[in-house]
Amino acid sequence: MIQPFTSDPLRWVSEDGQPIRELPARFTPELLRELHRQMVRAREFDKKLVTLLRQGRTTFYAQASGMEATQVGLAHSLRVGHDWVWPYYRDHTLGLAMGVSMLDIVSQCLGTNSDLCRGRQMPHHFGVADKRFVSISSSIASQVPPAAGTAMAQKYLGTDEITVCTFGDGATSEGDWHAGLNMAGASGAPCLFVCENNQWAISTHLREQTASETIHIKAKAYGMPGYYVDGNDIVAVMEVMGHVAERVRAGEGPALVECLTYRIGSHSNADADAEKHYRTREEVAEWEARDPITRVERLLEHLGAPIDPQEIRDLVAATHREVDEAVLTAEATGQPGWEIMFEDVYGDKPVHLELQEDFLRAEQGTATTGGRA
Amino acid sequence: MTATQKLAQAGAGAEETRTLTLIQAVTEAMREELARDERVVVFGEDVGARGGVFLATAGLQAEFGKTRVFDTPLSEASIVGAAVGMAVRGMRPIAEIQFADYMGPGFDQIISQAAKIRYRSGGQFTAPMVIRTPSGGGVKGGHHHSQSPESYFAHTPGLKVVMPSTPYDAKGLLKAAVRGEDPVIYFEPKRLYRAAKGEVPTGDYTVEIGKGAVRREGRDLTIIGYGGVMPDAERAAAALAAEGVEAEVIDLRSLVPWDRELVLESVSRTGRAVLVSEAPRMANFMGEVAYVIQEELFDQLLSPVVQVAGFDIPYPYVQDKIYLPGPNRIAAACVQALNY
Ligand SMILES: Cc1ncc(C[n+]2csc(CCOP(=O)(O)OP(=O)(O)O)c2C)c(N)n1
Repeated sequence: MIQPFTSDPLRWVSEDGQPIRELPARFTPELLRELHRQMVRAREFDKKLVTLLRQGRTTFYAQASGMEATQVGLAHSLRVGHDWVWPYYRDHTLGLAMGVSMLDIVSQCLGTNSDLCRGRQMPHHFGVADKRFVSISSSIASQVPPAAGTAMAQKYLGTDEITVCTFGDGATSEGDWHAGLNMAGASGAPCLFVCENNQWAISTHLREQTASETIHIKAKAYGMPGYYVDGNDIVAVMEVMGHVAERVRAGEGPALVECLTYRIGSHSNADADAEKHYRTREEVAEWEARDPITRVERLLEHLGAPIDPQEIRDLVAATHREVDEAVLTAEATGQPGWEIMFEDVYGDKPVHLELQEDFLRAEQGTATTGGRA
Repeated sequence: MTATQKLAQAGAGAEETRTLTLIQAVTEAMREELARDERVVVFGEDVGARGGVFLATAGLQAEFGKTRVFDTPLSEASIVGAAVGMAVRGMRPIAEIQFADYMGPGFDQIISQAAKIRYRSGGQFTAPMVIRTPSGGGVKGGHHHSQSPESYFAHTPGLKVVMPSTPYDAKGLLKAAVRGEDPVIYFEPKRLYRAAKGEVPTGDYTVEIGKGAVRREGRDLTIIGYGGVMPDAERAAAALAAEGVEAEVIDLRSLVPWDRELVLESVSRTGRAVLVSEAPRMANFMGEVAYVIQEELFDQLLSPVVQVAGFDIPYPYVQDKIYLPGPNRIAAACVQALNY
């Protein structure tokens, strides 16, 4: 029933919240409310972090507003802490829905001592080992071949885990992307590739990115099925991901799922002028009308279990408090000192690094101004 | 040539000038080269409507159209490889890699194709092209937006490697790179994009690739650097001057080829050299400069060559400023050389 290579994105719920296929029994009002809660929480997190950025308390942030159904839906389709995830930099909504704490994400964004990644990376590039959520890399598509390798190891080791690898539409142009899919295909590794197609790579539209009609059809070249999903329909995302993940888990080899969605906000803080330079206000408005959160609210109304607006207001307020608390808690841990620059470069510390550390210790010990040498 | 003459030369050009930032000078060089020669095209990720993430190409697509200035798919291998192919066919491509940190995916095309096509074809095929890319730290970018990979490219025969530190040089060197016969890796120190301001002639001029510039004259020691560290090297020299030490400051401006003559002439006078770059110390390009100084001037040196470099660690986020060799660290290295 769930077919690869469809010409239209698979969809269960129409844009105005009506089921257009039979709603699978697991989508009870309770589950839908929970999914809605997680999507709203992620949306509000975005807003708060943008504020934090404007306050100069962090230096980079890439919003995922508009992509909640894709990321929350994906989180609910994998076994958290069991399956492995090689994510990309726009995946905090996926992280949050997988149970990564706000403190962990916020700490990474602030580079505090509470940052599991120890203030090494630029903001918004977290990684959490107990969730098997591998530290995010900025370098586009560089996570794809390693994801194939993790899946090859899972096959070799005979585990029942799978690997999930996410990326944007732009990433599919990189050589690494093709190399990774080919490797996974050739080795039959249990890798679930997920394209979060938000249609823009900074200012480059999908139509300038590739002459392919869609992304998912590229799967054909690598000997795996490609699925096309309405990424703003959380029911569709979960149904397809669930089906495909089972297939991958059953040893039928890798698969690619393309979730068609949209990033409502700017690419990052660096292009707040998106609507002025490369896309139109009308286009954004058109996609705002397909908001994945509103769609679930309409569906719940249709099912006769509407969410009380007060409940949403409370959730928004609670989320804002949660972020504020995480920020305060993180900031209270302070920032790592210079000494940790020399740790984790290698498994052991070679002598040239010890010499450089000695040098900096002497310099910092005598520095009158502190900070900049 | 005396240092005074060299100073004059470094600032020479057409009479009329106005103040530009380094990034404005880069844009202007491209605009003028696009206008001058139809074979010139500018392309890369987001360089079109958006004008590049740092806005180096802002306005160029509107002015020259989409066939001359265009966005590409997100693939550095394609960008560099396509530039090689165009250059072989007689065009003069200027390709942008959005951050030097992302030269990785294009690395094979740079070292296997761009750098070697002339040699392996016995000079029958050549790739005159420019790869522009913002590099260096100081912008709180963490390791994927702050690296200084110039040494990888300096190590590869067939490539010219350029890194300006002033608007004047940025424009003149970029024009020279576009008009030259070789593939040029043109690094733009991103923390100076708007911080470096200076006089730039309105008229056409080029700065020869391979010539350094004396930024300050001095007799007691020679500070040699390039790119983003230059303003700090000059600050260090100014601080030393207040203590009665006259440091000569040389900006290499290009690494391949580099100005051996200028460096050796200066160090033979001062007897002391302090080499400054922000790239990690291990196998740093400045190691080559140090080697040549000791080879040529061993018996004239009054102290060992001192190197101020980045640490051998991935560029850190939180300690962004401590990582960089600032004026105090450079001045301390000079004092070390003087007190030997
Ligand atoms: C190898 C590499 N090249 C360029 C960049 C700069 N860059 C950062 S994000 C981005 C666009 C990515 O678009 P896409 O893959 O569609 O993901 P999206 O941001 O739309 O979610 C680019 C070009 C990079 N990070 N890595």
